[in-house]
Amino acid sequence: MSSYLEGIIMLSGINLIAVLGLSLLTGFAGLFSFGHAGFMAIGAYSAAICTTIFKLPFFVGIAAAAAAAAGASWLIGRATLRLKGDYFCIATLGFGEAIRLILDNFQGLGGARGWPGIPPHTTLVNILILDVIGVVLLANLVRSRHGRNMIAVREEELAAQVAGINTFKYKMLALVVSAAYAGVAGALLGHYMTFIQPKMFSMVKSTELTIIVIFGGLGSISGSVLGAVVLTFLPELLRAVDKWRLVVYGLAVIGIMIGRPRGLMGGFELTPKSVRAHFARLREAKAARADQAAEEKGGL
Amino acid sequence: MSDILQVRGLTKRFGGLAAVNEVDFNVREGGISGLIGPNGAGKTTIFNLITGVYKVTSGSVSFEGKDITDTEPYRIADIGITRTFQNIRLFKNLTVFDNVLTACHASASYNLADSLLRLPRFRREEKTLKEKALELLSILGLADRKDAIANGLPYGLQRRLEITRALALDPRLLLLDEPAAGMNPDETEQLMRLIGDIRNRFKLSVLVIEHHMDLVMGLCEHIVVLNFGQKLADGTPDAIRGDKRVVEAYLGGGE
Amino acid sequence: MAQFLQQMVNGLSIGSVYALMAVGYSLVYSIMNFSNFAHGGVIMFGAYFGFFAMTQLKLPFPAAFAVAFVGTAVLAVVIERIAYKPLRERNAPFLYFIISAMGASIFLENIIIATIGPTFRTYPDVFGRTSISLGSVAIGRLDLIMFVISAVCLAGLVLFIEKTKIGRAIQASAYNMKAAALMGVNTDRVVMIVFALGGMLAGIAGVFFGMKYTVYPQIGNITTKSFVAAVFGGLGSLPGAVLGSVLLGIIETLVAGYLSSQFRDLIAFVILIGVLVFRPTGIMGKTTEDKA
Ligand SMILES: Nc1ncnc2c1ncn2[C@@H]1O[C@H](COP(=O)(O)OP(=O)(O)OP(=O)(O)O)[C@@H](O)[C@H]1O
Ligand SMILES: [Mg+2]
Repeated sequence: MSSYLEGIIMLSGINLIAVLGLSLLTGFAGLFSFGHAGFMAIGAYSAAICTTIFKLPFFVGIAAAAAAAAGASWLIGRATLRLKGDYFCIATLGFGEAIRLILDNFQGLGGARGWPGIPPHTTLVNILILDVIGVVLLANLVRSRHGRNMIAVREEELAAQVAGINTFKYKMLALVVSAAYAGVAGALLGHYMTFIQPKMFSMVKSTELTIIVIFGGLGSISGSVLGAVVLTFLPELLRAVDKWRLVVYGLAVIGIMIGRPRGLMGGFELTPKSVRAHFARLREAKAARADQAAEEKGGL
Repeated sequence: MSDILQVRGLTKRFGGLAAVNEVDFNVREGGISGLIGPNGAGKTTIFNLITGVYKVTSGSVSFEGKDITDTEPYRIADIGITRTFQNIRLFKNLTVFDNVLTACHASASYNLADSLLRLPRFRREEKTLKEKALELLSILGLADRKDAIANGLPYGLQRRLEITRALALDPRLLLLDEPAAGMNPDETEQLMRLIGDIRNRFKLSVLVIEHHMDLVMGLCEHIVVLNFGQKLADGTPDAIRGDKRVVEAYLGGGE
Repeated sequence: MAQFLQQMVNGLSIGSVYALMAVGYSLVYSIMNFSNFAHGGVIMFGAYFGFFAMTQLKLPFPAAFAVAFVGTAVLAVVIERIAYKPLRERNAPFLYFIISAMGASIFLENIIIATIGPTFRTYPDVFGRTSISLGSVAIGRLDLIMFVISAVCLAGLVLFIEKTKIGRAIQASAYNMKAAALMGVNTDRVVMIVFALGGMLAGIAGVFFGMKYTVYPQIGNITTKSFVAAVFGGLGSLPGAVLGSVLLGIIETLVAGYLSSQFRDLIAFVILIGVLVFRPTGIMGKTTEDKA
């Protein structure tokens, strides 16, 4: 495999983990975050501290990344998830920017110029392993009572509450898990690039993650996987029109919200069973049409 | 018969408006009680106060002898009270089955690790939940629609689904907010029978808000009448029918 | 002491421009109940409109100023029609509005990068760098003009909302959109007017930011501060937005003056976190109960 291709595959695998997390938060629990790049930053720096300064093994760094990001998100959630209105959204926006500014000014970790010399621990193999684990855990989560409760919060918060669902708790759960995924993605990214810089985790990064989730479809894990792969490859293929990429994305996001708000795969999961069911429905519909046609002919 | 719910001096103000003002009433255990009154009388507000959706201004609510005033809404279901909404609030994009299955969550106790790793406890309990949801759907006559998206159901069935969802939590008191709104006389008739059946089958108490006088008078054993946030009268259907103030409130005197 | 007064004056001036942004944002929030994250894009367009009106069309400042705010008023309304109205009409969840707003924001920023380019541009120097001394305090001409125009705009807005029929319709819709519609208020028109007003204020703010700093595609990011200011003052409250903005402007200037200018941008987020933890309703906000 050419190293260029391998590089893109690795990047999309890393993106996928962050996207899966965001997919849980936005697609399943219905919360919008502008701050996921901030959680990635926390993950990247925590993991780098573990492996570079304390010389700990990579998996410890990854665990620390997940824990640190989850902890930060818990604090934000505690302050905002009980409030009605856009507080959470604004807080994540503020958080993402604040993390970047703090890291910019913190010379101990390289400041705005960045932090080179992180060991290249990220490999295609450990990315793929974590991708698979990430998908499986998420799929298990959303198809459990915990996941259903999150979906209920997204669908109709008040009804969820009187159905005995502690909406605060489940929003928090979605947020914390989501941030942990972002933290892991950050750790992988840092040890793939071997260099981290606050600028890599700007709001543009958060926005890109959200765009991927929306393209893939809110409430669909397979959509998120597809989105992460396609939207990481596409820009690489379309280098020439790179200038216009985000222009098109912006329009497409509006278009999706207006025309097909659940995105490419919204609510639909690509599993062998669902595919069979889909074809069965198509056959049925065809048969029904044929019946109807026959009937109409008969009636004449 | 003892009382399952006691409301004492219940008051709710929105700014200057007393939407509910010093209201007292009881709901009989195992009975079907009615809450009636003209538009804006404060009926829905009382439901919102009982279920903790609004904070009370003053007064108290107790359930099975325990004070539950200002309990958080999500704990009210645990305590044993569930409700439906005047303006139906289903999980719109989910299937009929998933609406009910979601509400069955309280019957399971597997934890997050069980979920993430699909441990045996998860599989076992999840199976029970699914059976429970299916059973409820067939009792309420929705089994053949279980894969339909809630939003696409006809109006009457949406109301029925909302009741099913409320029952999934095994309540001992069921609060129904205008369950017959928008139904034709036939459907209303069916609904009346359904409510009676539910009460008998699930051994629970019902408090129903309704405008259809036929439904209320035919179904309820006990009726509370509200007007402008205050209790006007309280008694059996016959007593209410004969009450001068109630007749006045309903025939324009109260407007 | 003199330095302190000087900082206060500078803070007041920048705070008043923040207020223009924050009021526009809060106005939309109070009607639509969602954060219009495309507001920053509109501000950025205002900065470019003004800039090109002066440099390409060679318009004098007042005319360029008018071009900018009329342009952004139109732009804000167009965005509403395209990105939000269809959602409004089918009662879509708020999440969709926020995502659509994000799409609009990405589009606005990147269409500028793709067509005009990412370079920083400097406004022609209209007011000179001279300042007016008041005792020991020197007020820059630009700062003074920013403050006066902002104050006049805000006062005009208050009059408009309090005294006109449309203004009262806006108030009623902010209180309860559905009830207002039932009472015969044309809510679609109210929404349009609110976006036009918000867009106008954004355009004015954009020109001022462009003059004070420079013009560049990401200048809209400064709206984050208006979100912070709005939360600080009380989300959804217009007087709160003004108060929050002015306080934020002053605090920022003081921090930059006495601590370090690097903390200047960070302080906004420190305030945000403090408010969210200790008093989420902000200075003037009040809690309301949603109708269930
Ligand atoms: N969240 C709220 N904020 C302000 N006023 C409210 C709120 N909820 C209810 N009200 C007011 O309280 C009064 C009682 O309302 P409520 O909905 O309880 O009436 P109702 O008896 O259920 O009427 P209907 O038969 O129309 O459903 C009304 O005047 C209503 O406008
Ligand atoms: Mg009502």
